Amino acid sequence: MVQIEALSKRYAAGGSDILALSGISATIGEGEFVCLLGPSGCGKSTLLKIVAGLIPASAGTISIAGRVVTAPGPDRAMVFQDYALFPWMTVAENAEFGLAARGVAPARRAAASAELLKAVGLGEFAAKYPHHLSGGMKQRVSIARALAVDPVLLLMDEPFGALDAQTRFVMQQELLRIWRAYRKTVLFVTHSIEEALYLGDRVLVMTARPGRIKAEIPVASARPRDIGSVEFARLRAQTLELLSEEIARSMEQEATAAVTS
Amino acid sequence: MSEATLARAAPTPAAIRPRRRPSRDFLLGAGTLVAFVLAWKLVHLSRLFPPWAFPAPEQVLGAFVKTLESGELLKNTWASVARQIVGVVLAALVGIPGGLLLGASRDFRAALLPFCRMIYPIPGIAWIPLAILWFGIGFKSTVFVIFFTGIWPILFNTMAGVTALDGQYTDVARVYLAPRMFYVRKVLVPGSLPFIITGIRLTYGVGWRVIVGAEMISSITGLGFMIDDARWQLRPDVMVAGMITIAMIGWVMENWAFDWLERVTIERWGMKSQPR
Repeated sequence: MVQIEALSKRYAAGGSDILALSGISATIGEGEFVCLLGPSGCGKSTLLKIVAGLIPASAGTISIAGRVVTAPGPDRAMVFQDYALFPWMTVAENAEFGLAARGVAPARRAAASAELLKAVGLGEFAAKYPHHLSGGMKQRVSIARALAVDPVLLLMDEPFGALDAQTRFVMQQELLRIWRAYRKTVLFVTHSIEEALYLGDRVLVMTARPGRIKAEIPVASARPRDIGSVEFARLRAQTLELLSEEIARSMEQEATAAVTS
Repeated sequence: MSEATLARAAPTPAAIRPRRRPSRDFLLGAGTLVAFVLAWKLVHLSRLFPPWAFPAPEQVLGAFVKTLESGELLKNTWASVARQIVGVVLAALVGIPGGLLLGASRDFRAALLPFCRMIYPIPGIAWIPLAILWFGIGFKSTVFVIFFTGIWPILFNTMAGVTALDGQYTDVARVYLAPRMFYVRKVLVPGSLPFIITGIRLTYGVGWRVIVGAEMISSITGLGFMIDDARWQLRPDVMVAGMITIAMIGWVMENWAFDWLERVTIERWGMKSQPR
């Protein structure tokens, strides 16, 4: 179980103090798929990076299985928006990166990456370099790299944001299949309402800056979800209503920032 | 899996490269060379310069053959190349780790960069008199001069490579708990390699340019010595033969050794387009 309690983040920018996140509390159950949905600039990626331990929180705590975490740890792995694969490593070496960093023996690493690359549909591409792969394939490698270290919590930062619509849909189904097979707890950041409602057990809607949790939308319908269904349309309308206020406020903030700077 | 097959069907850069154009480029390049030799011959025939100071192309070719047969050319070429290799390797051995440190640590930059910027403008040749006092005439003083001239491009380029490294790579290394030395070996060095290779290329270039001057002053072997010695013997044909040898070795290194190094590393990794 992952627990986020009264988390806030301030940072200094251009002489002024900016409150990026304010009083965020959330609980994610074991094996749950939670989507974090919000307008751009609301701090959802910042929140994910704090959970990853990449940047410190200003106040509040994060605990995983009862232990408070403040730095990166073996219990978490992350999939980045633009893949962040190392171009100088083969697909297999990229997938094994976390294991190699932990000093796992080469033979065991190779076995693990072979199995995972097969699981994400890239079994034949182990010896290729990332620049030979399409965006969707690169993100599969990134997912394999994350699964290889067997984390409790899988953090995903708009992983399909850079993909075209068709590849994106394929990847969403793939992710759900992998999630079922490996039973990970997932915290998934997105700005797409459809993506959040298609993937998540629950969707946390965030406000414009300072980011707070505005609403929690449970998605009860069984997977694979029918995005053409009446139920899906109703949820989408409900979420859109919540989000559009925030998008408007976020755009206002950006306009003000552009004028004052 | 359609996207997989798509990516596999996509041609690699090597396959895209046009086949026929190089031969046309080659003809144009060779044509210039032939025109140059003809013009050279014409100037020689015109007696614009006295014959003892201006050799004909065929005289240079003769000097080539003669110095090659006597072993003089190979001996001097080898002396220069050995100094060059040792000097460049030393510059890389100090410059690459130094550049990594300067790039990775703010404190190192603050402490050392002003000092480096101060001694960097001193031309390599200016070190020769001091080098002769310290090391005497010959191998060591020449290597010292190449080292001191060549260290800067590799040092500054490696530093630039580290500072230009994508911050996300560091995030990945932290998320996956990479220890410091693992990070240096697997991320920092290969990630900076496009800049490091450019640095070595430049180091090699400036070293090869300074070696001749250094050998003229502080050596009794090497191509620089051979050219300077030919002056005393009034043998301009030998001088030009030495100069052409220098050009050819430089050309071979540029076009074969360094291009090969790039092909097996950054080109293979699809990182070629980044710097330069």
